[in-house]
Amino acid sequence: MKLPDNVPRARPVHKCLATLLAVFAGLSGAVAMLPAASAAEARLPIFDAHVHYSHDAWDRTPPKEAIAILRKAGLKRAMVSSSSDDGTQKLYAEAPDLVVPSLRPYRKRGEISTWVRDESVIPHLEDRLRKYRYAAIGEFHVYGSDADLPVVRRMVQLAKQYKLWLHLHGDSDAIERVLVQDPDARILWAHSGFDRPEAVRAMLKKHRKLYADLAFRNDHATSGKIDPAWREAFIEFPDRFLVGTDTFTPERWYYIAEHADWSRAWLADLPKDIAERIGWRNGETLFASMMATK
Amino acid sequence: MTFRPTEHHSGRRILATLLFLLAPAAAAGTDGFSAGELERIASHGPWPTEWMRDPGNRVSANAAAIHLGHRLFFEPRLSANGRVACATCHDPARGFQDGRATARGLADGTRNTPGLFDVRHQRWFGWDGGHDNLWSASLRPILDQREMGGSATRSAALLRGSAALACHYRQAFGKAPKATDPDLLVNVAKAIASWQETLASPPTAFDRFRDALERKDDAAAATYPAAARRGLKIFLGRGQCSTCHAGPLFTNGEFGDIGVPFFIKPAGVDPGRQGGIKRLLASPYNLLGAHNDDATKGNATGTRYLRPEHRNFGEFKVPTLRNLTLTAPYMHNGSLATLRDVVRHYSELDEDRLHTDGERILKPLNLSEAESADLVAFLESLSPEAAPPTPVEPPGVAACR
Repeated sequence: MKLPDNVPRARPVHKCLATLLAVFAGLSGAVAMLPAASAAEARLPIFDAHVHYSHDAWDRTPPKEAIAILRKAGLKRAMVSSSSDDGTQKLYAEAPDLVVPSLRPYRKRGEISTWVRDESVIPHLEDRLRKYRYAAIGEFHVYGSDADLPVVRRMVQLAKQYKLWLHLHGDSDAIERVLVQDPDARILWAHSGFDRPEAVRAMLKKHRKLYADLAFRNDHATSGKIDPAWREAFIEFPDRFLVGTDTFTPERWYYIAEHADWSRAWLADLPKDIAERIGWRNGETLFASMMATK
Repeated sequence: MTFRPTEHHSGRRILATLLFLLAPAAAAGTDGFSAGELERIASHGPWPTEWMRDPGNRVSANAAAIHLGHRLFFEPRLSANGRVACATCHDPARGFQDGRATARGLADGTRNTPGLFDVRHQRWFGWDGGHDNLWSASLRPILDQREMGGSATRSAALLRGSAALACHYRQAFGKAPKATDPDLLVNVAKAIASWQETLASPPTAFDRFRDALERKDDAAAATYPAAARRGLKIFLGRGQCSTCHAGPLFTNGEFGDIGVPFFIKPAGVDPGRQGGIKRLLASPYNLLGAHNDDATKGNATGTRYLRPEHRNFGEFKVPTLRNLTLTAPYMHNGSLATLRDVVRHYSELDEDRLHTDGERILKPLNLSEAESADLVAFLESLSPEAAPPTPVEPPGVAACR
């Protein structure tokens, strides 16, 4: 029997059972199904923590098509944000089982570097938070002392009020400042700050509610082999990393499947339990569970 | 017999550099350019620049192979329908381009045909760098079903069946075309590559200006148009164009995402460099393979360590800026019709299409109309005044009939 793409890999005991069943099934002529079943079983589900679906993406790749891309890539779930937020809502309405919504402070493209000083961002966030369900606010871009600007401070308060994650693209200084504002803030550090693995480890060690996505970086693995310094980070903090594509242009939706396969290749270089946690279980525990219990 | 490649100028270059270093005070402010600008202008020459024969192609710079390659380049019988030659898209009258947005061979393609002048200086070939050598880049269109749709069998039969081509082959490779079909196809490509290596563009108005500055010939430098001079200032300074469009060829030979959309019709995307690297590594014709004639494989180092990265998705070759007036339209998909459009692209760059941690150098230039016109004038000065003639074949090859 062919398993759906988003079904987690079976545990060994189930695998044995499945093999036995397949042997019996073979007697009735169904053994030809086995390779397909094994292939599906072998494909690690992926929680893609870094997907954007902005207006130019939904213009080009409508929600049904976009969801088909995610399912074909074998994603268990995707945390999606967009400029404007309408894209996220369209996608969530199409597949609530697959999409975990995150709210960007951007109403349109082009606000990445201006939003921190734009007070009209606040009513935008407040309005959307009243109307829709989210797991996070972000991805937003903020660096250094900008994190202490009033707009950012208010956003951090809103995240606390609504018990939401902050998906922060910025440097460690910005993270420190946000955590001074709210020591209990839960932050997903986009791209692990493009920092060195040693620096990422130090931050994770220092802040127990800091998590890190690995989107748009390659330095942790080459040809399916994990860099030794990153391996130490993954072994030390198996519950704190997630993978993500970062579809920052509409074309990159066509890279989601490729990225998922690339992730599977290097995750296979880790012990299975850690690979599953980074590949999808962390995302499920941290984000998807929020949507289920609200 | 070996055809003599372009003469080297390294001695003169070193001397010029020394003279430049010995007289920085005198150079500062020369012709309105700072010492730093003059140094950068000097780095875009001399032209023609030095070239070494390709060690991976045993008939590189071989006069007989150039004769053979010339004929094969214009040979439509290599194609499936007998009507498409390399020259169908690479038209000599258009800088070996076709003037179309995207190529049309047996069917429509998705990329702009690159011009071939100075192709011998490239490191990676094709908009996606899917080839690490010129002969494999020449082989691909022969086999591509959308371009020529040929085959090893067809190519080999053509060589064996034509007395003139077989004669040229014998002269080039030292034996009759009796190898296997796949090996003959590779040799066809190597001969075509050896001919393309002779496609060198002549010095331009910019080159004459650059050389005049080098020898402090104010009278000669003064003939360079004022608009091009102002455009050069933008190119070197505010535009930071020379960071990627570097050196005598005006390219660093690498790849970049400059915010040009890369969807293709009717659906899907052109993965650019990311797909190119995968294609290259999977190709039996790359420099790691058995057809590389460099026994040391020293020319394969770049390929050996090449791996696709996420950022490569949607990156395309940084093209040479020489001969642009001959090769419109522009960009990997021919989406910009004129040089004015190209300058507008950079002037009004959509930063949202670029990753915040990607090409940090790219910012909208916000050029005025006058500044845009100046930059266009500079770009035009990198092209010859007229299409260069198709190179004359080297002498000393016995006639074949």
